[in-house]
Formats: sequence, structure tokens, C-alpha cells
Amino acid sequence: MLTPLWLTLKVALLATLLSGAAGIALAWWMSRRRFAGQSIADAILMLPMVLPPTVLGYYLIVLIGRNGVLGQYLDRWFGVNLMFTWQGAVIAASVVSLPLIYKAARAAFEEVDGRLTHAARTLGAGEFEVFVRIALPLAVRGIAAGLMLAFARAMGEFGATLMIAGNLPGKTQTLSIAVYDAVQAGNDAQALGLTLVISLVCIVVLVLSGRLLQARH
Amino acid sequence: MTPILDIQVQLVLQSPGRRFVLDAAFGSSTMRTALMGASGSGKSTVLMAMAGLVPQVRGHVRIGAQTLLDSTRHIDLPARERRIGLVFQDYALFPHRTVAQNLEFGVHRLGQRLKDEDRAHIEALVRQFDLGPLRGALPRHLSGGQRQRVALARALAPRPHLLLLDEPLSALDTPLRTRLRAELAEMLERVQVPTLLVTHDPHDVHALAQTVVHLDGGRVVSAATSQAHGGA
Amino acid sequence: MKTSPRWLRTGALLAALTLGGALHAQEIVVSAAASLTNAFQAVGQAFEKSHPGAKVTFNFAASGALLAQMQQGAPVDVFASADQETMNRAATAQLLADGSRADFVQNTLVLIVPAAATTTPQKLEELTGAAYKRISTGTPTSVPVGRYTMDAVQQAGLAAALEPKWIYGESVRQVLNYVARGEVDAGFVYRTDALIERDKTRIALTVPTAKPVSYPIAVLAGSKNATTARDFVAFVRSEPGQQVLGGFGFSKP
Repeated sequence: MLTPLWLTLKVALLATLLSGAAGIALAWWMSRRRFAGQSIADAILMLPMVLPPTVLGYYLIVLIGRNGVLGQYLDRWFGVNLMFTWQGAVIAASVVSLPLIYKAARAAFEEVDGRLTHAARTLGAGEFEVFVRIALPLAVRGIAAGLMLAFARAMGEFGATLMIAGNLPGKTQTLSIAVYDAVQAGNDAQALGLTLVISLVCIVVLVLSGRLLQARH
Repeated sequence: MTPILDIQVQLVLQSPGRRFVLDAAFGSSTMRTALMGASGSGKSTVLMAMAGLVPQVRGHVRIGAQTLLDSTRHIDLPARERRIGLVFQDYALFPHRTVAQNLEFGVHRLGQRLKDEDRAHIEALVRQFDLGPLRGALPRHLSGGQRQRVALARALAPRPHLLLLDEPLSALDTPLRTRLRAELAEMLERVQVPTLLVTHDPHDVHALAQTVVHLDGGRVVSAATSQAHGGA
Repeated sequence: MKTSPRWLRTGALLAALTLGGALHAQEIVVSAAASLTNAFQAVGQAFEKSHPGAKVTFNFAASGALLAQMQQGAPVDVFASADQETMNRAATAQLLADGSRADFVQNTLVLIVPAAATTTPQKLEELTGAAYKRISTGTPTSVPVGRYTMDAVQQAGLAAALEPKWIYGESVRQVLNYVARGEVDAGFVYRTDALIERDKTRIALTVPTAKPVSYPIAVLAGSKNATTARDFVAFVRSEPGQQVLGGFGFSKP
């Protein structure tokens, strides 16, 4: 019962780091510009949040499947195949959690007073420095909330993960897939046990994030 | 004699339902110049354009012999290279940094250490602006007048070639304003950096400026140099 | 072909039945193993033609998943499983109508490879080689083809060697899909499934099984339309029904 838990935590943590880095960078980049078609770019970034997980799973298969758009080169040049691996599960979980971080980070950056970044620039700071010394520290509360949500989402990811990583006990069988598997096999006791474990972890995450946001008040 | 300020800024600000055209040209041969006008006349925009914080500005910005912008010669220095100190109307102090850290911001870059000569310069500013006891305080714990002094010191720390003040006194209530106006006048005299200040208050002009430029609807409508200050 | 998650199918089933209004006496729901998908759809059409007024709704998934649905109360009239074990579990759970159970077809377990594969294994032992990194079959706990495979692999003494290579599919159709897409190097499916993906897969060899791959069918005790349900079972076992099934590669029981 513990193997799916460690696997789930590992996948969710790595996925959050991946989508966190990408989401924060994209949010900062987008918040500083106004260009034609920006709302379309925004919509595309938010798409994984509204698309059905199976649709996402299919797109990912098209992309990183062994004969996929990117997958075929990964296979041919590096002998790497992401299907049925926990790394593939990380990718699936990152894609679904990216919109949550992007949205939170974007909102947090836009709340930072534009005059502060202007002042920083007149004081000699380049764009990266403005990001690190001014924008990021002032947006950190909103970003942290977004990361928490992303982590919870990554932990619960099921549909796309099942399609990419499959259901391999010990290798890619995350907690939610393990519950599904137990129910399919008619193993109610196992299903109940796993459900309690995942519920407990979710409660802990929510309590911790609540404390984190409160402490800053 | 090279004028101290030789400015021409042309730009168009577009937002849904509004279109603002700025086409301001003016010069000054005195150390302290005031830019006057009603709200909406474009005064703050002129400062932002001079500081390099607004994109797509045409024209030229020359401070003494230095050219910061010249669209005919494709010169357009980014804000961080213009060596202009800008003091915003509400001071824009970094809320997550102490007074000392705010002062030091412009003087060392990320990962660099503060050089001894810069440290000495900041110490001098701290004394000059009477900020000693406030060094470790966060901006939210400071009074309006204290914030103004910190904002000025911060802008002066990197030794700018030009100081831009956007309504430096309008955030303060009247009795405080009168007192600080006198302090500001004295400080600007001491500091000897060319200064352009934006204001709508004639008292500020009288106490602080030697040349006054009037702005209305994005255009310069008149400019005058006070005889008392020995203008040409 | 992947079947959608169990809860989705149950939900869709319930929704369809609710929205469709009250079931007429001649409408039945048949839950059948995934390997029967194409064959039973044809059987259903033939049945409806020979029994005017009768209507059959099919629900295809791995046998274990179907059992789980029925245990949760899904309103099913007929159950066709790909192995005896799942039907035994249904019997133990007292889901079956007395005397309605019968074996109706047999199938063969085969090893298939993607059509683009450069080599074709001649013996099961070759699967232990480095060329076969990923081998697929059904999840043994809920998919019959997985159990048949594990029995055969154990008999051949290859269980330990093949253990790290398994990629489990939720149903035999998903296994077929993995091989067809080239995501795995080889897979175990039924002959009838391999025939569905003739251009994308190649049968390497037939895998002998200790027990015959025998499919049982039964009427459920809770069926609201027992008459039509029994008619359907009878049709499946009759000559016309068996001919349709034979066309898809199934052999007589």
C-alpha cells in the first residue's frame, strides 16, 4: 500500500517543480508584454485545465508515444521511450498542473505595483534582476498558493497518466490508479485502504497550505 | 553653452476609447526646471519617457553633452543605462526591503558586493537626509516625510546625471508640505544635480525652480526663466 | 482499443437507461468481454433481425471490470465472460439465474508483434531476449487474457525472466492497441483480436494453454427481461449465432 504512495509523492513533487518553473517564467514573460493574440496564447496555456483528461492523454500520446511527433526521435536518437514510465507520468501530471500555476503566478505578478519595477529599472536593474529582486519576492504568496494547488492536482491526476504511463504496479501505479485497479479487481478492502491514505495526504497538504498563506498576513 | 536639458518627446498612448498624443519640446539652461500643468496634461508621461520607461518614443533626450535618446540616429538607451534618478509621486519604495536595502539597491547589482566608495557615499546620504535611526525600518513603518527623504536618497545613491521628481510634495498634507518644500529647496541646492520636477502647485515652482515649462494637452505652451535666478 | 473507465461506463449506462425512459420488455443489456466486441455486435444485429421488437444494448470491457459493475448493481441482463474464473466469481456472488450458464465459444491465445517488427519470435523463450523490452498482456487480477498468459508463462518456466518486462493493459483490446501502435515489442491477445488488427500486427505463434480458453455466458438473476435474455443466450448458442461467431475466428465450445 505504501509503494503507490511514494510513487505518487515522487511524481507529484517532480511535476510541480517542472510546471512551477515553466509556469512562473511564462507568467512573468506574459505579464510584461502586450501583444496581438495574447488572449489566444493565454487560452492555449489554460487549455489543459478544461480539456478532458483523456483528450489530454491522447494529445500526449500523439506527442511522446513511440511513433509520436517527438517520441519517434527520442526513440531513434536516444533509445528513450516515455510511455509506461514514471517519467511519462511526471510529464502528464505537469501538463495538467501548469495552468494552475500559470494563472496564480500571472495574477500575483500583475498585482505587483508597476512603479516598483519601473523604479528598479531606473536604479540600474536588468530584466532578470527585476524579476529576482522585486517581482518574485512580492508575488511569492500567490505563487505559493498556486504551487500547492498544482501539487494537489498532480497527485490526483488519473486519466492522462493512465493513458501515458499505464498501470504498472511498483513502476507507474500511482495512488489514484491503484484505487481504480483495486475496484476493477473487486478488491474493496484494498480500495478503501488506498482511499483513506490519499485522503489523509490531501488533508495534510490543505492544512499546510492554509498555514502558509495565513502566516503571511 | 550646452543647455542642461534639451528634450523633445513624441509618443502616442492608446487605450480602449482613449488616445493621448504627447508632443513636448523644451529646453533649459538652469539647474532646476519645473514642468507645470493640470492633471492629464501629460507631465508624468514626459518624465517616464525621459527615463526610458515608455516604449516607442520618438524625438531626443539630451542631458548636457549626453544623448540618451535620438530617434534620428537610432540611439535609445534602456532605462537602466540612462543614469536618471526618478522619484515617484508615492515614492515607490520597495516594501519588502529595509531603508538601508532600498538605498543600496541602485548601487550594486545582483550577487555583487557593495564597494567601499559606494558604501561611503550612501553613508553621506544617510547623514545628509537624517536617515540614521531609520536604517533598519521597513517603508510601511515610515511617515510620509520620512518616505520622501528615503526616496530622494535612493534616487541619488547611484550618482545620477539627472533627477526627476514627480509631484514630490503632493502626497503630503499642507503644513508638512511647506516645511518639506524648504528642506527640498535646500537639499537640491546642496546636491547640485540637474533636476526636473513636475508639479501643479505654483508654490513649488517659486521655491524650487529657476525655469518653468507649461504643458497642456500634451504640448508645451510656454516656457520662462525666472529673472531672479539669473536666467538668460 | 481502450475501453473507458468503469465508473464512466456505469454512469453512461445508467444515464442512457434513465433518459431512454422505462425499458420495454424486449430490451436487454449485455455485458460482454472486450474480445467479443466486434463479434457480439454482429450477433446482436442478427438477433434483432430474427426477433423483431427485441433491442440489445452492449457493454464491453474486461471481464473483471464487468463483474465489478454488476456487483455494484449495474442493471445487466446477460453476462458473457472470457474465462470460467470470472463467471465462477459471479456465481459465488449469487448474481446468476439458476441453470442459465453455458459455454458458448472457445478462443486461442496467441503472441503477436507489431507489423513493423523486423523479427518474429518462433518460441516463447525468445521473449527473454534483449530485443523484447516491453511485453503486454491484460492485468492478471481483472483481465482473463492476463491470467491465461501468466499460466502459460509459468508452465514454460519463464515467469521470473519476463517479470520486469510486463506492460499491463486494462483489457485485451488495449493490449492489442499497444502492439498495433508499436508501443510494446510483443503482446498476448486472443486470435480473434489479432484478426481485427491484421495490417498493424502479426501473429508470431499460438500459445498452448493448460485450460482451454472457454467463454461462458449466463442470464443474470436480477434481469428485468428474463425472457428476452434467455432468448439471446439461446441465439448465441444456436447455429446461426455460432456461424456469426465463427466468422470472427471463434471456435465451437
